[in-house]
Amino acid sequence: MTLEIIIAGRGGQGILLTGYLLGKALVKKGYYVVNSEMYSAETRGGFSRSDLIVFPSEAEMDIIKVRKADIAIFMYKDQMHSYAEYVKPNAQLVILDGTFIDEPAKPWPRVLKVPFTRLAEEKVGTYRVANVFMLGVFSYVTGLIDPETMKEIIKTSVRPKWIEINLKAFDAGYNYAKENLERVEIKL
Amino acid sequence: MARREFLTGNEAMAEAAIAAGLRVFIGYPITPASDLFEYLAEKLPSYGGIVFQAEDEIASINALVGATYAGAKAMTATSGPGFSLMAESLGLAAMLEAPIVIVYNMRTGPSTGIATGTGQGDVMQSRWASHGHYGVVVYSPWSVQEAYNLVVKAFDTAWRLRVPTIVLSDAVIAHTRELAVVYEPGEVKVADRKPPREPPGEFKPFKPDPDDLVPPMAFYGEGYAVLAESLAHDERGYYTTDPENYERLVRRLEGKITRNKHHVVSSEARYTEDAETVIVAFGTLARSALALVKDLRKQGKKVGLWRPVSIWPLDEEGLSKAVEHADRVIVAEMNLGQLYREIARILGPTGRKIELVPVLTPELPGPDELLGYFEKAGVEI
Repeated sequence: MTLEIIIAGRGGQGILLTGYLLGKALVKKGYYVVNSEMYSAETRGGFSRSDLIVFPSEAEMDIIKVRKADIAIFMYKDQMHSYAEYVKPNAQLVILDGTFIDEPAKPWPRVLKVPFTRLAEEKVGTYRVANVFMLGVFSYVTGLIDPETMKEIIKTSVRPKWIEINLKAFDAGYNYAKENLERVEIKL
Repeated sequence: MARREFLTGNEAMAEAAIAAGLRVFIGYPITPASDLFEYLAEKLPSYGGIVFQAEDEIASINALVGATYAGAKAMTATSGPGFSLMAESLGLAAMLEAPIVIVYNMRTGPSTGIATGTGQGDVMQSRWASHGHYGVVVYSPWSVQEAYNLVVKAFDTAWRLRVPTIVLSDAVIAHTRELAVVYEPGEVKVADRKPPREPPGEFKPFKPDPDDLVPPMAFYGEGYAVLAESLAHDERGYYTTDPENYERLVRRLEGKITRNKHHVVSSEARYTEDAETVIVAFGTLARSALALVKDLRKQGKKVGLWRPVSIWPLDEEGLSKAVEHADRVIVAEMNLGQLYREIARILGPTGRKIELVPVLTPELPGPDELLGYFEKAGVEI
């Protein structure tokens, strides 16, 4: 089946990089992945949205933008409210950054609220890698992406001076999830 | 070796051009084609090619024509406003039978329109931009992978037929990332010129072979007298007002495309085997149309999709086959009816009902929004 993923937040939170890294990891796994981006003109503080559609094979691909997401990742409350209508009422998983979001916009059945930004600051030393910390959590919780594959992708995708801290953030997120969170089975 | 990459349409088209043997890229930056330019600027020199920013689009296309006459596989990339500037020399390229390749990423027009929006308003522009009657080939991809494949195909067509060849893509493909399987130079099949068979004293630069109507090509610097004459010319390349020669020349400039149609045309039909209604759409809009067709099929409706991959010329046989069981054909496109005119021309005489769903928006509609445009146009589905 097709899996639709929407990732949204404020400009500057690394939303587009998150979509790119996740897409690349899923391509590596053999899926046909479509990734489109939307963002406002400001580099900080506007909105940022990355859509991923994961098809089992090229023969099944059709849409480019998310219609109704099976998985939603909201890193900021304003964008959660803007895009809540694009999430299935029975979404498989909704991930929220608890640093900026108190309550889910809708009564989604499986919500995972983790203060990614605060934890990245505490455990890795900078809030700027909250997105990759989240990917570490995502990797453990969903089992959709293999941690070693993702680390290889990080090494070839981010600027050299940011590689080490991103790898640290990914591991920190993965370990945090392993100690504190339950796995969620994702149907794909 | 084939590589599985996760690329934007612009990156994939740049990769395709490199694989097809691109030696010269000349362009002028414009949204949504600039990042293709940047990508090649970084990468092409390491393959021994040249990337050059000209003073404008007019200079770009003129230099491309020269590059092909010197023997180089050459390409540019632009969008509507840039292509408008290239119009005059598109005719020059057709007249000189220069095998140039143009990536044409459509955005929202007319004029500078909505620079960051997507569009499909340039179907006619891609075919008829220049004055006089001439031939070009135009392909339109619906995915990143197809954008890659069609750039390779465009080089093959351009060099096989000595015609300007255009890949009519759009802003959505330009910036969407998808899985793309890409190759290195030498791993894809691209036609080369037919070299001259006569010695320099006897060779005529515009003397076509009778079977495919394509003249063998001598490059500058090889010792042949190569005239590049934009005026009506005879087989030697000399200006002439002779009416018979003129008719032969103009008929051949288009005729070499129709004569070699089997190399050029292509289309795809989905769910048309028993379709009573066939939706016609091209490019990225065809992806939303396909999703809509799947929805309608779930409701038990016998609806299919036909999508042209070559827009100029269309795969008329493929179209006729796709609508075999249909009494209705609905053309959905992001303009007020350009492809529609061609479909109506081809299918009108068959008595089928041919309807238009115009989609005027700078954003690609998904299947649900597309259905809204059917309702807006009063077209039941």
